[in-house]
Amino acid sequence: MISNHLPVYILILLLISAVTTPAIKPSSKKFRPKLVGTLTIASLLALTMFIVVWTNGPFYYNFGNWDSVIGIEFFVDEYTSLFVLAVLLISLLIIIFSLEDILHDIPKEKTPHYYTLMLLMVFSMLGMIMTNDLFNLYVFMEILSLTSCGVISIKRNKANIMASFKYLMLGTIGSVSILLGIAMLYMVTGHLNMGATSQTISSVWQMYPRNILISLSFILTGLGLKAAIFPLHVWLPDAHSAAPTPSSAILSGIVIKIYAFSMIKILFRVIGIDIIKAISINEYLTYFAVISIVMGSVFAIGQKDIKRLLAYSSVSQIGYVFLGIGIATEMGLVAGMYHIIAHAMMKSTLFLSAGAVIYRTGIRKVNEFDGLGYELPLTLGAFSIAALGMIGIPGVNGFMSKWYLGLAAFEIGKPIFIIFILISSFLNAVYFLPIVISAFLKESNRREQIMIRDDIPFTMKAPLVVLGAACIVTGLFPNIIVNVIQRALPTFMTFVF
Amino acid sequence: MANLDMILDNINYIGAFTLFIIGLYTVLTHSNLLKRVIGVNIMETAVFLFFVSIGYIKGASAPILDQITGESFYVNPLPSAMILTGIVVAVSITAYGLSLLINLYKEYGTLELDEIISKEEKAND
Repeated sequence: MISNHLPVYILILLLISAVTTPAIKPSSKKFRPKLVGTLTIASLLALTMFIVVWTNGPFYYNFGNWDSVIGIEFFVDEYTSLFVLAVLLISLLIIIFSLEDILHDIPKEKTPHYYTLMLLMVFSMLGMIMTNDLFNLYVFMEILSLTSCGVISIKRNKANIMASFKYLMLGTIGSVSILLGIAMLYMVTGHLNMGATSQTISSVWQMYPRNILISLSFILTGLGLKAAIFPLHVWLPDAHSAAPTPSSAILSGIVIKIYAFSMIKILFRVIGIDIIKAISINEYLTYFAVISIVMGSVFAIGQKDIKRLLAYSSVSQIGYVFLGIGIATEMGLVAGMYHIIAHAMMKSTLFLSAGAVIYRTGIRKVNEFDGLGYELPLTLGAFSIAALGMIGIPGVNGFMSKWYLGLAAFEIGKPIFIIFILISSFLNAVYFLPIVISAFLKESNRREQIMIRDDIPFTMKAPLVVLGAACIVTGLFPNIIVNVIQRALPTFMTFVF
Repeated sequence: MANLDMILDNINYIGAFTLFIIGLYTVLTHSNLLKRVIGVNIMETAVFLFFVSIGYIKGASAPILDQITGESFYVNPLPSAMILTGIVVAVSITAYGLSLLINLYKEYGTLELDEIISKEEKAND
């Protein structure tokens, strides 16, 4: 049956397209349809996969029909397939946006290389989401970290190369730690398949508690480094602000979430909730998450550059995801996993609209946004929606994740987390609202004083509108995503069975 | 001399962690960027050593199926196979890092981090 092979079809399509992209001249008429077509077909396949999983339940895919213990295995559940779909759709929008915008940053003859990197990046992200094998996870992770450095350094600036180098070094430390952690897990269990590992661990963990603790701390440090949780976030502001806009959108919106989701997978599918609670590693995670939530916002307030501000806000927002993971109840996971998708939408909207402003006016400084709302109403409108979502205004999806997070915090009897969420919301308001207010209400000191339609290409307008609308739709009807998460939860919370 | 025996038995693991820490220290503290790349390489080597040691069994033969003797006491081949992938990854990271360094050297004329920072500060003033 065709549906059994869907995960591989998506991956192979992206891989082939990535490799063949440099063969087509960027000036030829086929170039853009090919790129957009690839991701559209991949999204349609992902949609089919989602429908198949939704009707028939989660399925395993064994590569080459090898036994799951020997070979590599993919596991596609409801949330995984939804996440795959979301990643593909958001990267489709980002790539449509980038068609014009990227010419601002890199010479035209280099764009095929850029898209090769982008497609490989999407490919590796999907692999990381779906894989059910620890070493396979590492391999996809390395592809992801190399390509994400590549999309930063493709713009040959001093700042870009430096940021990329920093990211490469710290990212490699992260992935080496993860590999060491995986090696230690392998030492205890003798398996790399997540299901088999989890089964073995649950029976032997009392014999090797120290080994599992060390291995987990290596893996969590590595993933935390790559997901930019607070003390380990130092590479993120440079990398995400120096990169070309579409890269920043995809890096900040999706890539760091992939690491967070891998952490969910390793904590809940490999180690298992009972062991996590027994060694109370999730509690430490919540501390770092809370520090990250507050400190990310505090740093963001001081920023003058819009992209740097958004990058610091990512540090704060990834904290919400980690807080959800750290709470480690069903509600907490719902909040964390909902926020993964919600923030992917909001942050890509914010970065893309900031990119549109830079494209049209060249303004990067936050205090020069006065009156821009008259010049770019659509762009700044999308920006405002996403900014309100970040603050947590009801009706936008950012509110719902805070709501679920609050409920989860009450559930485990730690209302102190709600105070921190509120503090962070206020801090978000402190740095986002002035931008929105000055853009729409202040007099512009530029010569265009009258209201005009956004003077940016259609390919840049459309993604902004779609993403802005998606933020509101998922904010008004969060059940679209939450239902999916709740159906997938038993695969994470094995104790439910 | 139980202690010494334990150290000798686990010498691979001890070596791996020593290398790991040496590498980490170099990456985090050295001001020369080239040496940082080398530090990352040392860290990777440490993990490879660790991984291969897991599969090693004292006195076991190489994992090649021998029809005649029917030898069945093999070293675990899986870690070694995985480390081959790991080495490929490490090489690509090193190559990419070095290519970034070439570009940095073209821009600044030096690879010392403190000199680069002072040049940046001068340029900003």
